[in-house]
Formats: sequence, structure tokens, C-alpha cells
Amino acid sequence: MSEGADLTEFVAAYLVETEEHLGVANSQLLAIEASLRKGESNPRALRETFRALHTIKGLSSMVGVEPVVEIAHRMETFLRDFDREGSPLPTRAVDVLLRGVRAIGQRIASLGSGTAVAPPPQELITEFDTLGAPLPQDQKPLLDLDLEPELLAKLAPFELAQLRTASEKACRALRVDFLPSPARAAEGFTINSVRERLAGLGEVVKALPLAVPVSTEAPGGLAFALLLVSDAADDVIAQAVGIAPNAVKSLLARSLAVGVDPSERALPPELVEDERPGPRQAVVRVDVRRLDDAMERLSALIVTRFRLARAIAELGADGADTRAIQQVMSDSARELRDLRAAIVAVRMVPVAELLERIPLLVRGLCRHTERAVKLELEAGNAELDKAVSERLFPVIVHLVRNAVDHAIESPDERVRRGKPREGLLRVSCSSRSNTRLELSISDDGRGIDREAVARKAGRPTPASDQALLDLLCIPGLSTRSTVTTTSGRGMGMEIVKRIVIDDLGGELELVSTFGVGTRFLLRVPLTISIVDAFSFECEGQRFVVPVSTVEEIVEIDAALVSYSPMPRGDQPRVGIIARRGKAIPLLMLSELFQLGPPRSVTAKAIVVRRAGQPLAFGVDRMLGQQEVVIRPIDDALIRSPGVTGATDLGDGKPTLVLDLSQIGAAYAALEVAAAE
Amino acid sequence: MSDLHVVFEVAGASYALAVECVRQMDSFSGATRVPGAMAHVEGIVSVRGRVVPVIDLRTLFGHECVPPTLDTRIVVVERGARVVALRVDRAREVMKLDPEQMQAAPDAAALPARGFVRAVWLVGARLLQVIDLPKVLGEDENSHENYRHGFFDDGARDRRALPG
Repeated sequence: MSEGADLTEFVAAYLVETEEHLGVANSQLLAIEASLRKGESNPRALRETFRALHTIKGLSSMVGVEPVVEIAHRMETFLRDFDREGSPLPTRAVDVLLRGVRAIGQRIASLGSGTAVAPPPQELITEFDTLGAPLPQDQKPLLDLDLEPELLAKLAPFELAQLRTASEKACRALRVDFLPSPARAAEGFTINSVRERLAGLGEVVKALPLAVPVSTEAPGGLAFALLLVSDAADDVIAQAVGIAPNAVKSLLARSLAVGVDPSERALPPELVEDERPGPRQAVVRVDVRRLDDAMERLSALIVTRFRLARAIAELGADGADTRAIQQVMSDSARELRDLRAAIVAVRMVPVAELLERIPLLVRGLCRHTERAVKLELEAGNAELDKAVSERLFPVIVHLVRNAVDHAIESPDERVRRGKPREGLLRVSCSSRSNTRLELSISDDGRGIDREAVARKAGRPTPASDQALLDLLCIPGLSTRSTVTTTSGRGMGMEIVKRIVIDDLGGELELVSTFGVGTRFLLRVPLTISIVDAFSFECEGQRFVVPVSTVEEIVEIDAALVSYSPMPRGDQPRVGIIARRGKAIPLLMLSELFQLGPPRSVTAKAIVVRRAGQPLAFGVDRMLGQQEVVIRPIDDALIRSPGVTGATDLGDGKPTLVLDLSQIGAAYAALEVAAAE
Repeated sequence: MSDLHVVFEVAGASYALAVECVRQMDSFSGATRVPGAMAHVEGIVSVRGRVVPVIDLRTLFGHECVPPTLDTRIVVVERGARVVALRVDRAREVMKLDPEQMQAAPDAAALPARGFVRAVWLVGARLLQVIDLPKVLGEDENSHENYRHGFFDDGARDRRALPG
């Protein structure tokens, strides 16, 4: 049994790790493709792809997923030849390689879901044989780098190429020597810190250790020759290494033909140890379930605190002096908040990671639809709770797909309309506050034809973008394929709305100008677990509602509530109350939820906004305000409009967390349905 | 798969469920009602911090709903990622049942049961029905069809009429 558990644990780690390497392979292959389009080779990306596949192969053979091992092996051997020669890949190869990565991904996914792993796709594997071998790069005698032959021999072809072509990027290929010593380390100059600083100024191509005579400067008899490509000035570089500016040497200063004996060629890549001294920060990969577990325990702690607070309040009510203990309680509240913040921080993942998969998606879509699309991604440093990020991803995929599939015109059509041939798709995000992330997905495509959408939906033409969005999000509209071809949007928008608004409690906005372009704006909470909430009671059942959604809590004077006529008795009644000289509708929650017999009087009303309009909900009494841990209600049996989750107020029983504006929306939809 | 089964009672009949599907059993004193849920969904309870639905098997199997007693239990079952509690009248035994002796439910009995019962066991004089868990949990889309109600107009109206 324990063996089984260990294996599961191991497989889980395998899944996480391979996913990361597959991501690297994908993004590097796309980088290679981009370079090839410009007529350049990208040896570094090729090397990174090679490494990723090599690692996947190694991990997979440990887990025993032979099909993956076989695919990765074929891809790796194919890449190795090109890597060795430092020659560019044939353009077609990128495609085949991407398919290989996908084939590996599918098999790993099968392993993860416990289904049978498909055998390796033989066609794909044999296709690599048809791609040809690298053209042997001639032993160009342009070994014009000003380096000792023994150092030159340690450079791989792609590294040589990088140094030689520095000038093409308006950079210089430079060499600085660093002599590590305790004295230098005391000044803050170690090989790691020097490397790090140089990496900020350009690209460190290689750091080669050198044996030098023992001296006061080099007490260990060791030096490093750092070869870099940079556009920084000598004195800036010298400062980073802590040496005199004249010690920065250009590698192309003089033309020096140095022949290299072919037998001294660079070692095969797998034998070249990467001596890079771990530029990565210490990162721990954690199964998200463990984080959930920690959060769970914290949640239990918060619930216990509620109980404690309640017990203390009872003591106080009995006349005991609880001042000292109240002080302790407020300290504990603060500490719990800090602890919560710490755990939440651990769960945050960079949004950049979430958007990493978009380029591949767009590439595939462009191929299918024969669109030309320029993708601009801007993730910045924003971070998002892992759980939110996972739910948000399908939404982004959806909107991106719609943009490429339907919004952006074909290149010919674009040219006819006087637009650039290549459509522009921009995905950008920013964290506007500490609690919300703003994500924008915009295109310069044809925009949405409001009239066409309205016609298809059989509704009046929407007057605003918001009304248009509401129309697009009507379930069922999506099934009419004509809408998507004429309007450019509509495909599954209700799913987008459900995830963003209902599941994540976020907002969705649309700005679309016919003929010019469309922009979707999503605002989602960075994390979804704990909120400040009001608790209240209705017919003896308790509920909570997040403070952020409540506009106001008002007293209700029963004498001042009037009811609109209700020709059919089966509908919940709608009252009207006056608030600051304005009439607003009042819905009785106990009637909506059928908690008890209809009553005309409630003591309080909670006012929320729905579609910009105030809406009041009558409740029996307000109980208080506190931080609550929201647990998701994820089973289909208990999903209900307006119920966003459940919480524990300290009695061990779940209390429903309501989104009143959503209940208002559901009620309005009901009205509309009844009217039709 | 062992042959151990949890045996529970609903409205006088005995049912069996393989122990592998059962996460735990708890006493039951009431659930938090969820507006708009189907009639046989009694509400939600918290099981080790997780919010899970409670299916009242009495209601689902077409018996009248009764207030919980000291014997009432919830059998918490696990199926893939889902965890659901089944409310039963009592659950006291775990029995070893020989798979060889399992019989398909006779059609005349299985059809009206809408597939909730997959097979039966005859153990001495006792008859144990084997419930079809995916069906009971509503994974087969049609199985709960008759119970679906519109928003807010749910079968809980009937439940409210009950004492307690």
C-alpha cells in the first residue's frame, strides 16, 4: 500500500516537472521559428529545447512511460545533430517537433488521469528521418576571436556563433577575467555576484575556469574568463566585475586566425557540464493540494477563533471581566491575518506563466484559419492565486480563439480595408489593486455587428456595449453558428461569463467598435478564499454576503413599503421602498428562497447594485460582520444561482454565502421568462 | 477489491455498497438547505472541512421524508473527485459478501427503480440491493430528470411542510 502511495507522489512530481519542461520546449521552438522567419538561426533556443527533451526523457524512463521516452529520444537525437553543428533547423522541422511535444503532452496527460498511455506515433517518429541532416558547417577559418586556443576549444559552435555575431545586434563580444579571493568576496565580488551583475548588462555566453599562477590576487590559483555579449560601455562592465576599465577586452579587437584541430572540437553537449552556478533562485515545487491542505488547517483555526470569540462574548454577557482576554483575541486575529497572507502569497503564481501557453495556441489557430496575427503579451509582474489562474485559463483561451477565429479578418480582407496585413492581438494585464487583476484581450479585427447579433437573438438592437455583452452571454445564442460568422463573437460567451462572474466573482466588460476592433476587459479577484462578510438571518436560517458587494444596509419602515400588483400569485412579490428620494425594488429573500410563509414586513434590507441599478433584499436581522473562509460549492447537485459558496460561522454547519446581485439577475431572468 | 460492503437501511429495505466507495459514516442532525436544489438534495453538510451535498435516499427512492432520528446516518461516498453524503435511516453493518452470489436485479424490479438498483444479494433470509452509485449521484444525466425544478420553485416546498 505504502509503495502505491509513494508511486502516486512520484508520478505527481513527474507531472509537474514534465509540464514545465514541455512548456520550455514549446516556447523555445516558437522562438526558433520566429528566428528562422527572420533568416537567423537560434542556437541557444535549440540547445534549450534539446535540454528540455533530454530531461523529459530521463524523467519518463524513471517512471517507465516508454512511449514518451521513445518520442523524446527521437526528437533529442534529431536536435543533437543540429546542435552539434550549430546549424539552423529546417523550417518544417519546427512543426514536426511541436507535434512531437504535443504527442508527449498527451501521453503524460493520460498517465496523469490514469488512462492507458498510447503507443508512440510511428508516423511522427519516422517523419524525423525525412527532415534531413544538418548541413555540415564548414570549418570556417574565421576563428577571429581573440582567445587562447584552449579556451576556444571549450566553446560549443553555437557559443562561437553568438560571440561572432554580436556586432549584428549592435553589441560587442567581450572578455573580462575575474580572480576570486576572500578579499574580493568581502567586497561583494564573487563569481556568482559578478555573473549576476553581468547578466544584467548583456548575455554571459560562457564562464570558463582558468588555472593561473598563485598570487595575492588569486590565492586559489583560479580565475574565470567571462565571455559576454553586451552593449554596455567598458567602465560599466568593469564596475560590475570590480576591475579597471582597461581590463575589459574586446574579443574581436584584432583579427587572429587560429585554427582548431577538428579532434579538439567541442565535446558532445551532454558531456559539457553546465558550470553555471545556479542562476535560478531557490524554488520549491509544491503540489497545490498541499497548499490547500495548509489553507484548510488555517481555515479551521479561524473557525476555532470564532468559537472562542463567541464563548468569550457569552462570558462577558454573564458579567465576567473579559478585557484582558479581548486584547489577546485581537492579537490572535492579527496574527491569523498575517499567517493567511503568508499562505496566500505561497499560492500565487506569475500571470506570465499563465500567458506562456498563448503563443502556441495563437500559432495553431493562425494555421487553421489562415490568419496572420501579431501577438503582444504583457504580463508584467502580476501574480494570481493558482486556483484562480487555473479557472481563468479556459476563459483566456476562449477569448483568444474568438479573436483569431472570428474577429480578425483574413489578410486579404484586411488589406482591402486599409488595415495592416497582420492582425494585432494584445493580451495584457495589470494588478490594479491588491485584490483584483485586470486582464485585457483586444484585437483590431472587424468588431461586433450589434444589429446582426440582435437579429439572431430576436431582440432589439442593444444600445450599449454592456447590453451587447448581456445579449452575447445569453445561453443558447452560441449554438447559432451564423452569429459567430457574421458578428465575430458569441461562441460560448455564456461560459466566459459563468467563469468570470459566477465562479470567480469578477467583472466582464466589452468595448467593441464595428469595423475597428474589440476589447474584453476582465477584472478578477487575485484570490478567492477569504472575504469580509455580513451575516444575517432570514426565517431562522443564517446567510452571509461579502461586504464588498453590499452598497448599504437600510432599516425598513413597514408602513412605507408598497407592493406592485401581482396578477399571478405564484411569483415572489416585489415591494418598492424609497431611498433618498428614489424608489427602489425590494425582494423578500425568505420568499425567494421559500423559507417560510409570505410576509410583508422585514426589519432590514441589504441594498446591492445589479446592472448599475440599486436593488434591496429584505432580511429579518443582521447578525454582524466578520471575516469568513469561503469554501467552494463545486458539486453540480448543489450549484445554485446566487450561492457562491459556503462558510462555517463557528457552529460546524455550513452557512451559504450569497451573491445578491446574482440572485437579482436570476430573478429578473425568471420574470422575463414568465413574461414571454 | 475486497468483498466488504457497508449495509444500510432506507425505508425498511437493505442496501449494500462496496467499502471502497465509502469514505466515512457520520451521524446526522440536519443539513443547510440550498435554495433551488432538487427535492432529494437535502442540503449541504461539512465533512472534514469540505462542503458536500446530502442526498436523501428516502426521497430519491420515492418514500416520504422523515425527520432525522438518533439512528439516521450519512454515508459519505467518494467517486472520482466528487464526495457526496447519502442520508440513510440506519447503517450499522459491514458484511463480507461473496461476489459469486450476486444476482442481477430482476427486470420487473429494476425498471421501476429507474436503474438505481444494479443487483441483489440473497444472504440467508435477507435481501440486499446493490445500488448503482453513478445513477444515484446523478452522473447519468437522465436519472434525476424527474426531479429537476425551475429556479426557486423547488421541491423543498414539500420538505418545509414536515415537522422539525
